[in-house]
This record gives sequence, structure tokens and C-alpha cells, in this order.
Amino acid sequence: MIDATTAPLLLAGVPLLGAAFSFVVWNKPDHLRGWSIIVCLIGLVAAAGLSEYLAAPPEGLLLVYLLLVAACASLLGQPVHRTHRPSWLLTLIFLGLGLSILTSQNQLSQIALLLLLSLTAVLLYRHHTQLWPISWWGIGAYGLAALCVVNSIVAGPPLSSITSLLACMILLPLVPFHEGYITVLTRLPGNLPSFIVLLFPAIGLHGLASVVPTVPDVVAWAVNLFALAGTLYGAGKALAQSRARLLLSFGSLSLYSMLWWFVVATRATTPRAAVFVGAVGLATSGLFLAWQVIRTRYGDDVDPQSISGLAATMPRYAVLLSLLALAAMGLPPFGLFAGFMGLLLPSAVTFSLSLLIMVTAWLAASWYIMGMVQQWLFGAKRPDLRYTDLLHSELAALMILVGVLLALGVMPATFFGPDGTATATSAITESFVWKN
Amino acid sequence: MTPILFVPFLLLIAACTVLVGTDRSQYTRAKLAAYPIGAAFVGAGATLYLVATGGPIAVQFYDLSSVVTFAIPIGFYVDRLSAVMMTLITGVSVIIYNYSIVYMYQDRHARRYLAMICLTDLVLICMVSSANLMMLFLFWQILSYLLYVLAHNHAHAGTLAGAFKTFTLLRVADTAFLAGIALAYQLYGTLDFQELFARAAEKPIALSLWPGMEISAATAVTLLFFFGAMGKSAQFPIHLWLPGSLFAPTPVHALLHAGIINAGGFLINRLAPLFGLSSTALHVAFVIGTLTAILGASMMLAQNDIKKTLGFSTIGQMGYMIMECGLGAFALAVFHLIAHGLFKATVFLNCGNVIHKARQDPHSPYVDHQTEEPSLSPLTWFTGFVTTLFIPLLILLVTHGVLRIPLLESQGTVIFLFFIWITSSQAILTLTRLRAVASWKVSAAMLMTLLFIVFVYLFAVVSFTAFLYPDPEEVASYFQAAALPNWLFDVMIVMATLLTISGWTYLYRRARGRTMWMPAWIEGVRIRLYVLFMNRLYADEIYQQLGKSLMEVLHRFDKSAQGWSR
Repeated sequence: MIDATTAPLLLAGVPLLGAAFSFVVWNKPDHLRGWSIIVCLIGLVAAAGLSEYLAAPPEGLLLVYLLLVAACASLLGQPVHRTHRPSWLLTLIFLGLGLSILTSQNQLSQIALLLLLSLTAVLLYRHHTQLWPISWWGIGAYGLAALCVVNSIVAGPPLSSITSLLACMILLPLVPFHEGYITVLTRLPGNLPSFIVLLFPAIGLHGLASVVPTVPDVVAWAVNLFALAGTLYGAGKALAQSRARLLLSFGSLSLYSMLWWFVVATRATTPRAAVFVGAVGLATSGLFLAWQVIRTRYGDDVDPQSISGLAATMPRYAVLLSLLALAAMGLPPFGLFAGFMGLLLPSAVTFSLSLLIMVTAWLAASWYIMGMVQQWLFGAKRPDLRYTDLLHSELAALMILVGVLLALGVMPATFFGPDGTATATSAITESFVWKN
Repeated sequence: MTPILFVPFLLLIAACTVLVGTDRSQYTRAKLAAYPIGAAFVGAGATLYLVATGGPIAVQFYDLSSVVTFAIPIGFYVDRLSAVMMTLITGVSVIIYNYSIVYMYQDRHARRYLAMICLTDLVLICMVSSANLMMLFLFWQILSYLLYVLAHNHAHAGTLAGAFKTFTLLRVADTAFLAGIALAYQLYGTLDFQELFARAAEKPIALSLWPGMEISAATAVTLLFFFGAMGKSAQFPIHLWLPGSLFAPTPVHALLHAGIINAGGFLINRLAPLFGLSSTALHVAFVIGTLTAILGASMMLAQNDIKKTLGFSTIGQMGYMIMECGLGAFALAVFHLIAHGLFKATVFLNCGNVIHKARQDPHSPYVDHQTEEPSLSPLTWFTGFVTTLFIPLLILLVTHGVLRIPLLESQGTVIFLFFIWITSSQAILTLTRLRAVASWKVSAAMLMTLLFIVFVYLFAVVSFTAFLYPDPEEVASYFQAAALPNWLFDVMIVMATLLTISGWTYLYRRARGRTMWMPAWIEGVRIRLYVLFMNRLYADEIYQQLGKSLMEVLHRFDKSAQGWSR
């Protein structure tokens, strides 16, 4: 019989079993990728079928579905090649662990998290080169996160809640614990960055749900400060980058820092926060895939500054990239705008300088993302470049992401789960103090 | 179904008609799409009639009690202001679209371009008929992006830089708008227009910015909204995007200058009850508007490119419009934006012909009157003097002395009279040639111009104001809120009058062949100012330098942070 204990196991079992069976078609990369995608689709159907048996966390089950969609899209957007097989296999394993963390009860969830963090540290070590000494920071960050998880299992409160918070800071990136996140997105191969950009923050948000209400005020104050610093730091760093992966990593760091500020200010995670995380993750994932399309055509070490004029020669790519950029910049009618407004309007946070910083970071996203997209799409067409528009699988991957982002933007907030803060806030009728 | 929903729907049909289909049928489909746009205009006209006779129409697809539960709270609220704007937008669109079909014939990107025009119209219509601030903001932002996309030739470096500048500057203003929405929702708990106005008027709230420094909530909110409006209406100092986007196709400019740029004026009018609660915000609007009007007009005079001249003329006119809002003359601002929109669209659609003719004929445009003697024509000078100086002063004396209208207590009336005077003087001096030989025709033209402008203004003041704002008390309250300190108002009126009279004296003496003594330093300043205005106050260079400096700081920070963090 299916119940609340077995349903998460069944759900997590789909991708894990899929990963185990993938060795059957290991020698045929096209079959392996097809198999991986089918597993993700089965997972999606299983999630829909098992949803009534799954215990809904405060942020709702939206992220469970979005993880499956992101995994599927990241696999579709990857070209078929032997060298990408390990990353497809790891996507399924990460997906299984991620689903287990998001849906299981405490202990199993923490074991899965421990496994995930350890596996990430190992992967970073595996892909470490002397040219990128920064990888050590990432390995250290995920090692620390794993220690924090162990500590939160064995120690009692308040130490356990603080170590859990620390683990969340590494997963849902927050300055100064963001190194792991940046390293994972810039160092891991294949489609893994485009999947992890949603996976880790989703797990971080899930962890925050139980930790945030128990965090002492002084810690919350410090986190608040980190969030503000991270928002500006991420935006500033993104503006200074010329490398696509670094730009996207720092840009998403800035946006996730905004979420931290809202969550700490309201001391709660809501389905709106899940919409925001999902939208940031999917939009960044889409841009990673779009960058992958360019790398597939012009090589891994292509300089983004040397690409121009794609709008005229790759119209389908141009349209989808523009839509993804719109979503990532927080323009309507996409999910990031809806998520941001959903956090901004009904929350109990007072209008303050901090809120202005949030809004400024939101503005900065328009600057660096538009700069990047304009560089790629417009300008003079280069005769020495070979232009090939999107292949069917790439087109499908980007279209799925754009479609989901659109759905996140136009669907009523109540669709994603009940929200205590959704009721209209009462008007302030007394003197109102601007918090400097 | 009310005609309100038909209007955006028809524009969507037009966009789809252009967009979907084979290349072979592209031209036929483009021509076919003109019909739904025409029908949208008829629908807008019908809406105007319905609203004028039956009051505002509201269509809501969301729960009023909680705007934010629906990610995009789609709803329409069409009152007289919205209906007038809808009619203007669709009317101008019919002309521009039909012009564009021929203008873009056989262009490789004609399909995308025509569809974008239809979509921009759709967004504009949805924006002006929004039922709440959220929906308005939503379409407001989409418009920012469409403006970026409509700059057509993206392979051209100048166009690219202009488009990027347009987008980033508009986003700066959008951010202020967003902050205004967040603050308004936090203070009043609603984004629905009518409720928002009612709650804001119900109980004034004070915001403490600093210990001992308080600001009214209405002022804080309206200032943020005003900053948002400044972006779209190209107000100084964020006006740069407008001249920067001048590489776009001519019909885009016609649409931009006749419709899109009016968004700022529309926003202030839509939120007039909120602006009416804050004298500070209105005064800020007045100052910014005046500054923009003066700088825009001055820069226009020093440009040597027809599109740039028209662009800066629009900036000046938008400043004028915002200034009217700042003076509490909201209806006059709407009237102005309609008149300016129609005029500027016509001029832009025609400027291509002028450029084309000038390229073919080196003598074009012809500079006439070259053979004319700079003689004085007493008759025309006398008529000009009477129509632009004597009659206005006579009207002032009559209204004050005979009709006993208390002008000194009613800034609103003085404002209207003053605008009549300025507009008629400008029109007479532009349309007629004072150096021409004495002619009864010229004198009659001057008188007719004056009469025409007086009647147009009377219509604007009496009928149009009563149409848009039927409650006279409401209109009076706006003037009262916008009232400047008496001494300042008097100083401004006297200064403007002296300037006009000095201008006349200067013109008269020059026409008589006499020179006016000028100190050398004034001549030096005049030349420097000319260079300054010709280079558009070096604002582009300043912004560029600011951006460069910021990027340098960020790159330095990026490099220094690499040891600790990538």
C-alpha cells in the first residue's frame, strides 16, 4: 500500500533505478540520453500520481515538479556525445537524491542530503585542475555543508538549527558561503550546471522552512546583512564578468540573496518563495542551456565577446534566448516577475532602504543580462562563423523552460499551494517609520 | 461583451494575421490586418461614447479583495480618460499602420515589424485601460521592452547602443515605479485605483525618514510614481533615450511621439487624485517639467538633423505637458498630449519625404525670403503687436477689472490665460512673417490665429476639463494643491512677461535695422550656450563616463575579490 512513508521512496526510486538501468544502454549515447529523458518523464507522472500521498512542505510541492522539468530540459539541451554520459547518469542520481530530500521524512532526507553533498565534493575534486585552484573552495564548502548536516543530526538545538542554517546558506547560496555554488556551476561538466542551478537552491529553501522560525534574532540579523551584501555583491560581480557561466552564476547569486532577505524578514517560506526559486533556477538553467548551444557550435573555449549577429542567422534561437532573458531580468509575464511581486507585496516587511537595495539589484539584472544577450544576438554578422539554428532537442528544451516560466508567471498564486500571507494586508493607519 | 474587450482583442487578431502565414501571402495579410486595427478604432470610439454617456465601465477577472493572489490581476477600468487615450492610440495606429505597410514593403523584417506595431498598440491599450496599478505596471514594463525591440536595425552599432540606452534608462524609471507600488500597497493595502484614492484621502499618513524629518505618505508614493513617469515621458535628466533611439524606422517614431511617450502624462492623470494630495510632488513635477521644456526647446534650436530636431521638440513639449500637470491643469495636459501627438505623428510621417527630397535636390529645402529686403511692415507689425501683446493684456484687465474674476486668488485661471498668450504668440510668430510686405491677409491671418487659439483653449478649459473631470470641486482642489507661493507665482509671471516684451523689442529693433548693445560677455555666453546645446549638454558623454567609471570600479573590485572569492 502506498502511504506517506513509501510514496517518497517510490518517487525517488524512479530516477535512481533509471540510473542503475542506464548501464544497459551505456554504449549507445543517443539511447542513453533518450532513456534518461524517459526516466524524468516517468518521474513527472509518478510525482503527479503520488502527490496526494506526499506530505506538503510549507513551500509546497511545486519544486518537486520543477526539478523533474529542469532535469528533463537539461538532458534535452545537451548534444549527444560519449563524453556526456557520466553527466546524464549523475543527473538521474542527483534527481533521485533531490526528490528524496524534498519529499522524505527527516532522517532519510538528511542521509540523502549527506550523500548529495559528498558526491558533489567528490565530483569537484574529480574535475579539479591546477588552472582552477578555486575548486578547493568549493570542495571545502560542500565538505563543510556535509559536516553541518551530520552535526544537525547528532546535536541538539540551538546548535543544530545554526548548523542547518549554515548548510542552507551553502545550498541556497548566500555570501560569504557562496563559493561552492559558483564552483559547481562553473566547473562541473555537461548538463549538470543547468540542473544544479535549480536543485541546490530548491533543497536549500526546503531546509530553510524548518530552520528559519527557530533561528535566534541575532543570527537572523546577521543573515539579513549577508543577504543585503550578497544581493549587491552578486549584481556587481555579474556586471563585471565577461564569461557567460560566471555572469549567470553571480546573477543568480544576487537573485537568491534577495530571497534570503525576504525569508529572513518574514521568518517563513511560502509557495511564493518556491515560485521565485523555481523561476530563478529555470531561467538561469535556460540561459546555461543557451550558452551550451553556442559552445556546441563554436567550442568549449569560445569567447562570448566574439559572438555576435545570431538574431539574423539563428532566428529560433534568438527568439527563445530573448524570452529567457526577459524571464531572467524579471520582466512580465514570466515567473520571476510574479515570484518577486509575490514576495514584495504581501510580505510583512516594511518599506526600507533594504527594500530599495532589493529593487536596485532587480534593476541590475536588466543591465548585465541584456548586455550579454545583446552581444550574442545583435551586431554585425561574422562571415567566419558557421551558423546553425537550434536542433529539435535543443528547441524542445528551451521551449519547455520558456513555457514553464510563462506558466509560473500567469497562474494564480493559490495554484501553487495555500499561503497564509496571501490575504490582503490591512492598510497602515498610524504613523509609519522608515527603517534606515 | 463590452467594446472594451473587443479593442485589445482586435489588435491581437491583427498581430496574429501579420505573423502567421506563408511569405508569399505576407503583403496581403499585412493589408488585411489593417481592418481589425480600423475596427479597434471604431470600438474605441464606441467605448468613448458609452463611457461619456453611461459612466465608467469596469471588467475584472480577479478577486478585488486580494490583488496579489492572482499573479497578473487582469482587469479593465475605462473612464473618460482611458477612453480618450484609447481613441487617440487606435486612431494614430490606423494611420501609422497603413503608412508602414507601404513604408516597409519588401523589407526582410516587415512581418516582425508590423506585428510588433500591432502588439505595441495592444500593450498601450491594455495599459491605459488597466484596472489596477499592478496591471498598469505590467504593461508599462512590456512597453519598455517593446521600445527596445522596435529599434529596427540591430546590425547597426548606433542603433544597438541607442536601444540598450533606451532599455536601461527606462528600467531605471520602472524601478522607481515598482518601489512606488510596493510602498503604496504597504501603506494603503490595495492597488485598485478607486480604493487606493479613497484610502489615501481618508487618512493622511506621515512617514518618518529620519528622526525629526517627516514626509507625507502621498508625497513619497507620488514622487516615486513621478520618477516612473519621467522615464517614459523623457524628462530631464533621463531624457537621453529619446534622441538615442532616433535610428528606428520613421513610423516607429510617429507611434512613439504620438502614443508611447504620452504614458508619463497619462500615469500622472490616472493618479491625479493621489497627486492632488501632495503639493510637494506637484511642485517637483512643475520644476522638472519647466526645466525639460526649456532645455528641450533650446537643444532643439541648435540641432542640425531633422529627426533630432523633432526629438528634442518632443522632449520640450513633454516638459511643457508635465509642467501643466505640476500646475494642477491635468485636463490641459491631456489636451496638450493629444494635440501634440497628432501634430508630431504627422510631422514624423512626412519628414521622410523631406529627407528624400533633400537627397535628390541639393537646393531643397528651399530657403525663401532670401531676396526680401529686411524692411519693416508697419501694418503687420502693428497687428502682431496688438494680437500678441495688447489683446492678451486687455483680456487680463477685462477679466480682472470688468468681469471681476479674482485672478490674484485663482492661479488656475491665470495659468490658462498665460498658456493662451504663449501659444498664440508662438503660433503667430511662427506662421506669419513680420518682414513681409504690408498685407491685410497677413494681419487677418494673425487675428484668425489668435481667435482660433483662444477658442481652442476655451474648449480645452471649459468643455474638455468638464468632460475629463466633471466635478469642478475636484479641478479646483488640484489647482489649490498645485498653487505656488504667491510671490513666486507673481515673479514668474512678471519675468515671463518681461521676457516676451524684451523679445518683441529686440525683434522690432533688428527689423528697423538698429542694433542692440550687448555686453561682450553676453555674446560669449550665447556662443558657449549654443555649443553646449548643440552638443546636447554633453549629457551622453557624462552618462558614458559615469557608466565607464562604474564599470572600472566593478572590474577593480572583481579583480581584488578574486583571492577571496571568484
